[in-house]
Amino acid sequence: MSARESTRRRRVDATGLAPYAILALMVAALALVPVLTEYTVRTANVYDIFQNFASYGLVALALGITIIAGEFDLSVSSMYLLGGMVAVLTGDGSPTVGILVALGTAVIVGVAQGGLIAGFRLNSMPVTLGGYLVVLGTTYILGHGKSVIYEDYNVGLRLDKPILQIFSIRSLIAIGIFAVTIVALRYLRVGRDIRAIGGDRRAARVAGVSVDRLLVGVFVMSALGAALAGALLSYSLATASPTNIGVDVLTFSATAALLGGVRLSGGKGGAIGIAAGVLSLSVLQEILAILRSPDYVSSLITGGLLVAVTIVWAPELSQWFRTTRVATSLEKDRTPA
Amino acid sequence: MIARVGVERRPLGIADYALAAWIAILAAVTVYGAATTEGFLTVSNMKAILTAASFVGIIAVGLTVIVLSGSLFSLALGQTAAVSAMFFLYSVRWGLGAAIILTLLLGLAIGAVQGFAVGAWGANPIIITIGAAGLLEGMAVWLSHGQSIVPPDNRTSWEHLANPVLGLPAPVYVFIAVSILLGLVMRRTRFGRQIYLLGENRVAARAAALPITLLTVGAFGIASLYTAGSGILIGATSANASLLLVGSYTYDAIAAALVGGNAVTGGRGSIARTALGAIFIATISDMLLLRGYSTGGQILVRGIIVVVVVVLTNLRERNR
Amino acid sequence: MNGERDPEPSSGSRSQPSETSSPQVLLEVVDLSKSFGPVQAVQGLSLDVRAGEIHAVCGHNGAGKSTLVKTLVGLVRPDEGTIRFRGEELSLRNPLDAQGHGIALVNQELSLVPELSVEDNIYLGGLDVPLVYRQRRLSERARAVLDQLGLRHVQLGTAVETLSIGERQLVEIARLLVRDARLLILDEPTATLSKPEIERVFRATRDLVAEGRSVIFVSHRLDEVFELCDRVTVLRDGRRVGTHEIHEIDRRALIELMLGEMEGARAMVQHEHTLPGSGEPLVKIEGLTVPGSIEDVSLVLESGLITGLAGQVGSGTSTILRALGGLVPGVSGTVCVRGRAVPLKTPRRAVEAGVLYIPNDRQREGLFLGQTVERNLVVARLRRLSRLGVLLRRRAHRAARQLAGMAGVPVERLGSPAGSLSGGNQQKVLLGRALELEGTALLALDEPTRGVDVGGRADIHDLIRAAARRGTAVIFSSTELDEVLDLADVVVTIFHGRIVSIVPRDDATASAILADMTTSHTTGTAAAAT
Repeated sequence: MSARESTRRRRVDATGLAPYAILALMVAALALVPVLTEYTVRTANVYDIFQNFASYGLVALALGITIIAGEFDLSVSSMYLLGGMVAVLTGDGSPTVGILVALGTAVIVGVAQGGLIAGFRLNSMPVTLGGYLVVLGTTYILGHGKSVIYEDYNVGLRLDKPILQIFSIRSLIAIGIFAVTIVALRYLRVGRDIRAIGGDRRAARVAGVSVDRLLVGVFVMSALGAALAGALLSYSLATASPTNIGVDVLTFSATAALLGGVRLSGGKGGAIGIAAGVLSLSVLQEILAILRSPDYVSSLITGGLLVAVTIVWAPELSQWFRTTRVATSLEKDRTPA
Repeated sequence: MIARVGVERRPLGIADYALAAWIAILAAVTVYGAATTEGFLTVSNMKAILTAASFVGIIAVGLTVIVLSGSLFSLALGQTAAVSAMFFLYSVRWGLGAAIILTLLLGLAIGAVQGFAVGAWGANPIIITIGAAGLLEGMAVWLSHGQSIVPPDNRTSWEHLANPVLGLPAPVYVFIAVSILLGLVMRRTRFGRQIYLLGENRVAARAAALPITLLTVGAFGIASLYTAGSGILIGATSANASLLLVGSYTYDAIAAALVGGNAVTGGRGSIARTALGAIFIATISDMLLLRGYSTGGQILVRGIIVVVVVVLTNLRERNR
Repeated sequence: MNGERDPEPSSGSRSQPSETSSPQVLLEVVDLSKSFGPVQAVQGLSLDVRAGEIHAVCGHNGAGKSTLVKTLVGLVRPDEGTIRFRGEELSLRNPLDAQGHGIALVNQELSLVPELSVEDNIYLGGLDVPLVYRQRRLSERARAVLDQLGLRHVQLGTAVETLSIGERQLVEIARLLVRDARLLILDEPTATLSKPEIERVFRATRDLVAEGRSVIFVSHRLDEVFELCDRVTVLRDGRRVGTHEIHEIDRRALIELMLGEMEGARAMVQHEHTLPGSGEPLVKIEGLTVPGSIEDVSLVLESGLITGLAGQVGSGTSTILRALGGLVPGVSGTVCVRGRAVPLKTPRRAVEAGVLYIPNDRQREGLFLGQTVERNLVVARLRRLSRLGVLLRRRAHRAARQLAGMAGVPVERLGSPAGSLSGGNQQKVLLGRALELEGTALLALDEPTRGVDVGGRADIHDLIRAAARRGTAVIFSSTELDEVLDLADVVVTIFHGRIVSIVPRDDATASAILADMTTSHTTGTAAAAT
């Protein structure tokens, strides 16, 4: 192995650990809180963290999968809302039915978006932007422009009842789906193929991967994840709203995915990393809640993190350093771009 | 004033027929709607349409420079408008002129920073602007302590910006003026020409030694500057500014640019198209409103239009 | 200049051709013909490949090699002729279809996904890969194939992006073997490989063939052909001009077959190569190096002189020119223009110093296809054509007309999108934009007539000569011998990233140049002076 190759190998290994390092940092920060304030970190806080994980985790997973496949689903934030609205509206008799209908809607949306993107070889961003609007509009229409109450608030109570003090049915569902996805992405052929079409689509096509079918599948998965998360949250809150409550779902999901090691260029990243990213942000939010920080601090930090991560992973960053001679001694061992 | 990027001499393909059919459908729907919607064909309604189109339109034409340069679009413009409105109403205490200049400069700076990250480092523009939006929201709430900003009682010069001139609200004039200005810049200046080239083929632009970083900073800077301008007008018109102003400006502006027919991948299109797109969207929204369609319906229709136009424009591009 | 080398069997090469009494024919191509528009790429081409043989296909540019290869793997449908593989007549729809029959291609553009592991890439897109795709039996098979190809040291789990190009190529071959390829076509496989990697590929190839598979080895590297192959077929102008057992032919004869009448004819056509060139060194290049690509390239380029870089694909000619144009970030070495050192970091610096680089991939990197011809022509001089940032449109239009006239682009197409022009005209537009630009010291043209027909080529050559006459130094690269001999005043041959020889045109002969382009020499780089 030449020196160049071993440097390359070392570099690749280091970045793979980043999501866990970040999570460790966050947990460490949480551990520091009782040192710095009067507050004692209790199991209730851990419960909150997992609840947060349940609320947003699946959306981050959904978005993350589309990024790994080399695309970007801007419609996740409104699919989230639509999932909640459909579940509440149709789940009157039985929450399971509500969830199934929500998932069915997600499949329709996913097939439509994925079909257009694959069929016409379109850039996914403007298409999912349009999709975002269509889904959002539908959510408004279904709710007549207002929030809709879900009568059976017992469902929410059951979903959120603490299990083993720190979990709940909702968070266990999210964790379960993450577990299944982790296994699928790692051990099933479809996982490898998703990374292939994100890594080098041309090569994947030439090698014989059925790119178009996969793309549709990816967008269906993305819609399903967002819809399920939204449906469960709506049951938990016993309300479905056409507007975003709390932190912006898209920002959160994008940040969690990127912190989790998903690369915007595609082909890199996995569900475990995304889980770590979501947990990191959930811990962060819990810390902020303990410190009773106002909401805007969360926006600031999440937004700042997103910008920072995007810049760090920016493709031409190292080249820019080289051409402007900002970092001198760092350049020596860099391999040519 | 439809700018033409060269006379095309190629056989008409199915995409052209599809686009022509789409334009025909749009025209037909508009005419039908105009004829059958009560209250549509009145002067006051037309004014309302133009006014609505103006706020979005100013932002949209600024955004068009980003689109033309190949950096897709910015998702931070709504927040930029809100922040600008807030800052403007706050700084009115230092005089109207100072307030306007400072707000515009703020907008320019906000955009330039994003443009630098995208141009010099190749950062993904969409994600950067998503992050910037979050940062802007955070900063806005922090600095305003969560309150809306209202102009100080002793200053009323800003009201001029909200008053109608010759029957039309000031924003309409501003929209038309800045659109023409930017249209000229894009068609007649070196900067504009280079933006088109950059958006057309980034790799070739690099090989041809075009100043990519400067151009991208310029594109994002202009978009943000224009958005700040719109924010000033919005603030003056509402006499009250907070993050609630964000509303749907971001998506409306993007929709206007796309619906006008600008290629989302860059290099093709014009300011004029966006201006028309903004007016068209405002028209449809107005029609839907008059006919009793809800907010949701309007959003839905807008979304459908965006998707259809994106598909058709892309088909046309690929036929070349 | 080195003399011919006799094809003596060196250590490790095949010593005997297969001596079966009636060698089994694996592939039979009969009367293949294919034209693309007015160009007849291949005509009446017939050849056969035996089982267990390594069959070389040689020929100069345009001889039909690539069309033959594309037809064999289903990328192109022949107009006439048949392909018979293992006795069965084939009508191939696409490369995957060809792979299904057992014919596979490995060329410069590998279809590996860098982010995935070696094992994943090997089984990527395969038809009978199960749902749970990593299984012991599959891993074992992959391991066996990798070992067979000499990749014992490569772990199945390492990401392909950490492998060298040579290793990646073998991984691609591994994939094809796992899909049970019986006939492997290697298209210029060694162009970008280091010596030890080439050895590895050769060893792997010999082992494959020992099992009864066959390999078609398309290459211009003649000493490799002699070292590795059993038989060689030479193509010229779309036809087969000879097939010989390797031990029956020598390098000189092979080159003569490839050149055909060219040597003689070329000698007759002379252009004025003795320019009154000021002899003043305008551009000094020293020690230009890009790790893995070019090494220690040093040249002196004089005002008014046209220097031709003769080298095949992958030899590094393009990298040299791109480095001059500021497009290669990892380059080291110095370039002085008019006595002043030029930082090679960005295209902007290069242009400011007076070095204009014209890319070879005109569609992807050169032209702005959707913009008008006029806009493409003036792209390099926008600053001069504007005042205070405002474009002086009439002046720009006049400049465009002038450039179009000079470059031979039909003026009536100025308003059409550049993408609507023919290949030749597109190339003229690309060149036209670099003409008559004040302050230009050096024009670096990367394959200036790629994909252009004979008539267009003559026009473009005239353009280049005119530019040189005005005092600019010109350096261009070409894979085509006759172009180099036609246009260059000084011929620099490049092989494997190094300068092999620098010869004034009048002293150059076609066979010597071709020999230098296709053979590695142990003499290292030649002196820099002209």
